[in-house]
Amino acid sequence: MLDPIQISSHHNAELSFQSKPMTTQDITTAAVGQWEEALAFVALHRDKSAYAELFRYFAPRLRAFGIKMFGNEQQAMEMVQDTMLNVWQKAALFDASRGCASTWIFTIARNVRFDMLRKKQSRKDDISADDLWADGDYPEQEDNQSQHWDLHLVAEKVAPHFHALPPAQRLVMEKVYLDELSHQEVSEQLGIPLGTVKSRIRLALDRLREAIDGPRS
Amino acid sequence: MAHVVKYHPSISLLEQYSEGTLAAELALVVAAHLDFCPHCQTLHRDIEADLGCELAMQSAPEANSDSWQQMLNNILAEPAAAVPARKTSPVTPSQSQLVVGQHSFVVPRSLQRLVSKRNKWLTLGGISTAKLPGTDENHLSLLCIETNTQVPLHTHKGLEITLVLSGEMVDEMGQYAAGDLIINTPDHTHTPKNIAGEPCLCLSVLTAPLEFKQGLTRLLNPLQRFFY
Repeated sequence: MLDPIQISSHHNAELSFQSKPMTTQDITTAAVGQWEEALAFVALHRDKSAYAELFRYFAPRLRAFGIKMFGNEQQAMEMVQDTMLNVWQKAALFDASRGCASTWIFTIARNVRFDMLRKKQSRKDDISADDLWADGDYPEQEDNQSQHWDLHLVAEKVAPHFHALPPAQRLVMEKVYLDELSHQEVSEQLGIPLGTVKSRIRLALDRLREAIDGPRS
Repeated sequence: MAHVVKYHPSISLLEQYSEGTLAAELALVVAAHLDFCPHCQTLHRDIEADLGCELAMQSAPEANSDSWQQMLNNILAEPAAAVPARKTSPVTPSQSQLVVGQHSFVVPRSLQRLVSKRNKWLTLGGISTAKLPGTDENHLSLLCIETNTQVPLHTHKGLEITLVLSGEMVDEMGQYAAGDLIINTPDHTHTPKNIAGEPCLCLSVLTAPLEFKQGLTRLLNPLQRFFY
């Protein structure tokens, strides 16, 4: 489950201790997978110094996230404490093949926050985070035959649809997939939020998938 | 669940679900849709990964004050939880099976715990409903429509969100099967019918008109037909 080969994922490239904007060189030299590795040490050896590093990095960021979501410090800190305790106690449940460490920690914080809000309304049999967000027991993904397609065929099929994308989506796609810029760089170049870059990519990819696979019917 | 789901939640609905900002009852409908739909599962995990990156890239002061150190020490003093290898507690037949009259249905993962907390079934004509626990603003219920039964023509004061769990249903706008998510707004007037040879089980959320107005506009924009 904690096979180091599986630990790296492309999202790690965006992780770094530095808070200043990263250059391309920083991204390539950043310690890829450091948080995944730290979680593995906590899971396997109860490694306190690995945990302390995770804590010093994520706890203040969770606090900032919590203040944004709750609008007050006290609940934000309750969420931080509960989330980071889960990270300490349940590190063995982290599965690097399903995503990077920051994603796992985000999902814990989201679930803690959701249950805190529901508990405040004191409903006993209420909907809980465990009902809403499955933890690794999704049914198998569909077999995707398009993976075996000849790449040239795919390129030929995609090209016309690519040009048919709305201009804003096409521009972002060109910068990411043809110019090979990072999402952050595209965001800076175009002066649009990172989230917008990501959502445009998602929308465009879904259109292309639909164009290739045909409508889902 | 061999067929392919046709009606999906919009991207904005999925994003709110992944963030955890969607009203609980609506989030439950999306969660149940995901149990049927690998495509939306992939999108959901993609959104979660983005949100994780946002968290990691958030700027924040360093955690070297005494109060942070105190919290760290408190946590390190806690023992590791006895964690099961994975949360794959086998589902007992009584949890995954829902019996309505003479019919028996398989319930998706996200609904298994809540379905056992349902109120009793109320039956009128060929239609049975049972309320599930939820808030007062949004009414969450199971709906079982017998074969050859029509739900009387109705409009909606708020949003009506329906997820087909089993069987098939048609209305003026389309034909729906297990996993399909149908959102009706106050403008819609429709007559859902079950003309298939088996009963149709649905999960339904009704939002009361006034309490919900703020969230309403956000939900209505790209609606659920985005993908098909």
